Order: sequence, then structure tokens, then C-alpha cells
Amino acid sequence: MADTILLIALVLAAGAVLLAVLRLLRGPTAADRAVALDVMTLVFVPGMVALAVFSGRKIYLDVALVYGVLSFLGVMSLARYFDRGI
Amino acid sequence: MTRKVVTLIALVAVAGLFLVLLRLGTPNELGTVSRHYVERGIAENRAANLVTSVVVNYRGLDTLGEVTVLFLSVTGAAFVLRRRERKPVDARASRASEIVQTGARLLVAPIMLFGVYIFVHGHLTPGGGFQGGAVVASGVLLLLLADRERELPHGLMAWLESLSGFAFIVAGLAGLWVAGSFLANRGVLPLGEWNRLLSAGIIPVIYTLIGLKVGSELAALLDVMMRGEAVAAGHGAARSGGGRRGGRTRGGKNRKKGGRR
Amino acid sequence: MIWLDALVCLLMIVVAVTATAVKNLVSAVIMVGVVSLLVSYLFLRMGAPDVAMTEAAIGAALTTVIFLIALRRTGEDR
Repeated sequence: MADTILLIALVLAAGAVLLAVLRLLRGPTAADRAVALDVMTLVFVPGMVALAVFSGRKIYLDVALVYGVLSFLGVMSLARYFDRGI
Repeated sequence: MTRKVVTLIALVAVAGLFLVLLRLGTPNELGTVSRHYVERGIAENRAANLVTSVVVNYRGLDTLGEVTVLFLSVTGAAFVLRRRERKPVDARASRASEIVQTGARLLVAPIMLFGVYIFVHGHLTPGGGFQGGAVVASGVLLLLLADRERELPHGLMAWLESLSGFAFIVAGLAGLWVAGSFLANRGVLPLGEWNRLLSAGIIPVIYTLIGLKVGSELAALLDVMMRGEAVAAGHGAARSGGGRRGGRTRGGKNRKKGGRR
Repeated sequence: MIWLDALVCLLMIVVAVTATAVKNLVSAVIMVGVVSLLVSYLFLRMGAPDVAMTEAAIGAALTTVIFLIALRRTGEDR
């Protein structure tokens, strides 16, 4: 039962990443692509945690933690760049 | 049109090359050196992370070369990319919004703590000096994004970087003195129990020094690139540029150090 | 999990090829960030957590910021 729920979570996370990549490839302006990058890093964290619980390996959690802590800095510097030049 | 065709051809060629290498080049069993690392690595180093014991102990000289290469490239980049003149920036443009300032004030301490955790526990969990140093530099980046005119303590960062690099060499020489080979792990510090924080000899000490060095180095590079020469004139990387701009005392200091480099 | 790895590989190739073909350089920098994220996942699946963590720590914030500063300073973003 728990395995089924985790598998559904993984499929949904993969679907979200796929939709974000579509926006990344299509988006006419660079700001669209920045939002797509933000969504991808935000979906990546719970996707990796679900994969860690599903496969029982603890090493997947460290990278998820690093992305969870640091991902907003890249998007924030992109926002500063679009606004007034970094 | 030509560009797309060339890209497609290059992609297919590289894919074909990888397929050939996959068929021919992947070994199915461990070589002699890898088998020594896998079988005797834990017994000789007692570090829970086998990659750390390979990076710091078995290939410690390559890590020293990596640290040197990073130092040289950051020094060169900071020297080339600094601003010559200080552009006038009004106070409103340099400070970020209220959310970013408050968030930076709250988040810098946990980010730095996380970076320190990564390089102190390098021998237990995945991670190590370079990763932890990059996270610490990202914490400093958050400070710079919140308030662009913040004065970072460049003297402290320069001293920290230089002393960490020097202490790395001293740790290697201690290994030479005690055990007979540079950067040896036997005998300098006790090996301890497995999977404890104070274990694996000199490996956590070396990774801590690497983490401090890489963190302060990358933070200084980010500061110089974002803010300009008035900051870099206090930092050792741009002393000759400061002398060229003027100022009698700076020129005097340059002449004593051997002129423009 | 092989379907997930295959999907990530395919996405990585598509985004990387698009990064060379797009005109705006800031968009290319963003695509490099996305490729870094996908490569970090593949390193984890191949059993190399230290390499994945290095790629995450450097590619999450630092390479994007350094590229943006360089683009702004050379005026290439017109």
C-alpha cells in the first residue's frame, strides 16, 4: 500500500517535471524559463525524498537537502538580474 | 538550417561513440587497485565514506593539486574581473526588498551551519570539503544579494584562506615526520572507532581545512565580481591594480613587494 | 525505475541541445541550470552521491550567478 502511494507520488513528480520542461522549451521570454527552473527544483525535492523512501537508500536525501536549501538563490539572482542588473 | 543539421550529426556521432565504448570498454570486475581500495580501505582508514578515504588518503596529492588549481583560478579571475572604478549606486537600488532582507537575516546562519556540517562530516556522510565550501559561499551570496553595499571582512577571509592552505601542507608534513610519507594517515591522529565523528585519523582535519579554504575563496570571488575594486584593493589579489590607480602609500607598498606583478 | 532514468536522460538531451540553439543568452544560462539538476539526479541513480552533491552545491546557485555577472559585465545580453 505504501509502495503504491510512493509510486503514484513519483509519477506525479515526473509529470510535473515534464510540464516544467515544456514551459522551459516553449517560453517566449527568459522570465518564463526562470519560473520553469524554479518549479523544477521545487518538485525535485519531494520527488527525491519519495524515491529515497521507496528504494530504502539514504543517500538520496543529502542531494535533496542541498537543493532544498540552495535552489532559491539561483532564482533570486535571476530575478535581480531581470529587475535592475545584478 | 546548416546549424541544425550539424548539431544532429554531432549528436548521432557522439551517441555512436558512446555505444561503442559501452560495448567494448566497461569492465565487469574490479581491477587490482580498486580491489585494494574496496577490501582494505575500511580497515586502513576507518572512514565510513570510502570515497573520502580515497580522495584524502590514497589520492591525497591529487587533492592538493586540485586545491592549488582552484586557488590559482580564483585569484586569476578575481584579478581580471574586478571593476576599475566604483560605479555610483544609489542606496535604493542596492538594498533588496523587505522580504529578502528579513529572509536573508534568518537564513544565512542555517545555510552556513549546513555547509559546516557537510565538510565536518565528510568522512561519515556523502559530501566533503568542496561541497561544504560551495554551500558556505552560497550563504555569503545570500548576504550580498540582500544588501549589495555590505562590507565583508576581506582581511579575515584572506587570512582564513591562506592559513587553511598552509595548514593543509603542515598536516602533510606531519604525516611525513611521523609515518614517513607525505599526507600519511597512520599515526598522526588515532584512527578511532568506525562511524564516529572523531575517527579516521587526519581525514576530518584535512576536509575541514579544505572546506574553510574553498568557502572563503569562492566568497571573496563573488564579492570582488559583484562589488568592485574599492573592495578588492584591501584584498591581496589586486594589490598591484591599486598601486596603478594612484596613491603614494599604495605605490610605496608595491615597490616594497617587488612592483607590479 | 528504469522508465524514470530514461525520461530524465531524454529530457537532459533535449534541454542541452536547446541550450545551444536558443538566441537569448540568459535563457541558455537557465537551461544549463536545468541540465545540472538532471545530471545530479543521474549521478545519484548511478550510485555516486559525492559527485551528485558537488554538482548540486555548485550548479544550484554559484554557476548561475557567475554567468549572470559575466553577462552583465560584458554586455552580451543585448
